Amino acid sequence: MVPRFALAFSHQVSYQALRRRMPALLEARRLRKTYGGRVLLDGVDLRLAGETVTTLGGPSGTGKTTLLRILGLLSDPDEGQLLLDGVNLHSVIPHAARRRIALVAQAPVMFPGTVLDNVRTGPRLAGEELPEATARALVVRAGLPPELLRQDAQSLSGGEKLRVAVARSLALRPEAWLLDEPTAALDAERADLIVRLLRELAAEGAAILVVTHDARALEQLEGPHFQLSSGRLVEGRPLSGDAS
Amino acid sequence: MSYVSVSLPQLLLSLGLMAMAIAISSHNRLGLERDLAIGTVRAAVQLFAVGLLLTFVFQNEHPTTVFGVTAVMVVVGGWTAARRIAHGPGTAVLFRHATLAVLVAGVVVLVPVFAFVIRPPRWYEARLVIPISGMILSNAMNGVALVFERVFASINEDAAGVEQLLSLGATPKQAVERHVRAAMNAALRPTINALLTVGLVALPGMMTGQIVSGTAPDQAVRYQLVIMYQLVAVAAVAGALAARFARALSFDEREQLRTFPDPRVR
Repeated sequence: MVPRFALAFSHQVSYQALRRRMPALLEARRLRKTYGGRVLLDGVDLRLAGETVTTLGGPSGTGKTTLLRILGLLSDPDEGQLLLDGVNLHSVIPHAARRRIALVAQAPVMFPGTVLDNVRTGPRLAGEELPEATARALVVRAGLPPELLRQDAQSLSGGEKLRVAVARSLALRPEAWLLDEPTAALDAERADLIVRLLRELAAEGAAILVVTHDARALEQLEGPHFQLSSGRLVEGRPLSGDAS
Repeated sequence: MSYVSVSLPQLLLSLGLMAMAIAISSHNRLGLERDLAIGTVRAAVQLFAVGLLLTFVFQNEHPTTVFGVTAVMVVVGGWTAARRIAHGPGTAVLFRHATLAVLVAGVVVLVPVFAFVIRPPRWYEARLVIPISGMILSNAMNGVALVFERVFASINEDAAGVEQLLSLGATPKQAVERHVRAAMNAALRPTINALLTVGLVALPGMMTGQIVSGTAPDQAVRYQLVIMYQLVAVAAVAGALAARFARALSFDEREQLRTFPDPRVR
C-alpha cells in the first residue's frame, strides 16, 4: 500500500507539472474584500488551471461564497485583479465575460417556465435558440431524466434544481466553472454523477472550482485543495474525517 | 349659461356633511373623529390658500408667475414620487431622477396639446395652463412613484434570480426586464382603468366642474377627452423614464446588482 504522504507528494508533482504545461485560465491576484468591518479575503491568490478541479473548504462564514461571487464577477474585490486567459477582466464587458464563467449557486433560482425554458435561457440572452435535442442532451448529461424537460422548473426538488442549473450553464459551454456545494442536496448516487461530470468537464479543458465539505466528493475530485481561513488560502487536502 | 355662486354662509352649511360623518364615526366607535376634524379644517385652509394664490396669479398673469407655479408643481411632484421608496438608493438620488421624469413627461405631453389642440389665446393663459398642468403633472408623479416602488421592491425580492441571469450573460437590461415590464404595467393600469370606465362609473372632476360652471356639456366632454388622453400619455412617458432610471440605478458600472437596504428598517 502506498503511504498517504507519498500519494500527496505524487499529486503535488503532477499538479506542478500541469501548471507548467498549461497557462491558468482563471487567475485571482491579491484579492482583498472586507464586509461590515470584517476582512473576508486578505490578499488571496488563486490560479484555476484548465483541466483541473480545484476544491475549496473551510468553516462557514469565512468568505468562500464571497470568493465565488468575485470570481463569477457578481461582486468586486476592494483590491486585487482577476484574469481570464491572461486578460484583466476589469477591461472586458462584464456580461460577455460572465458567459465564459459558470457560477452554480448552492440553491439555484429557477426562472419561470419549464426546464427547457431554463436550459435555453443563456443562449436566448445572446440571441440564439438552443435546439430541443441539444437541451435534452444537456439535461441528461446533468443527470436528469429527459422527460423532465417539459416540467415546470419551479416545482422541482432542490437536487433537481441544482442539476437544471448545471444543464443551464452547460448550454453556454463555459471555460471556467464555479460551484457552491454542488453535492450537498444530492444522494450519493446523484452526487457521484455530478462529480463524474465535473471530471469530464475538466478533461475537456475547463477550469473548475468547487466549494465543498462533502468528504466523498473531495476524495473523488483529485485536484488541488485549499482551505479559506482568516481571509487566506491554505493549500492542502484535509485528513479524512476533517472534511465534513 | 353662468355659474351659480356659493356664499360663505352657504359654504358653512356644508360643514353639516362633515358633522354627519363625524357623528357616524363616533356612533360606530371608528376612532376617526379627530382625523375627520383635522381634515375638514386642513382641506379648507389648503384650498383657500390655493384659491388666493390662483387669484393672485390670474390677476398678475405673466409668464414668470404662471411658469413659476408650474415649476413648483414639478419639484413637489418629483419630491413626493421619490419619498418612501424602500430598497432604493435614497430620496436625495431618486428626487433628481423623479423630478427629471416628471418634467420631461410633462413637457412632452403638455406643450403639443397647448400648441396644437387647446390653443389658448395667450400661451401663458393661467386659467388653462395651471389646472391642466396640475392634473397632468400629478399623474406623472403617480406613475413615477409606482414604477420606483415596484422596480426596486421586486428587484430586491428577486435579487438571486437577477444575479443568476447576470451569471448567464444577461445585460442589466435583460436581467431586470421582467420586473421593469411589470412595474410599467402597474403604473399604467389605473389610468387605463379610468379611461375604460369614464362616464360609466363617475363623471370626471374637470368635466363636472366645467358643466357646473356653465360650460356646454359637449365642450366639457371634448376637454375631458383631451385630458384623459394626456393622462395616459404622461403616465406612459413618466413610467418609461422612471423605469429606465430605476434600472440604471440598480446596477453599477461593472454591471453588478446594487442592493439597497430598506431605510425604514434599522
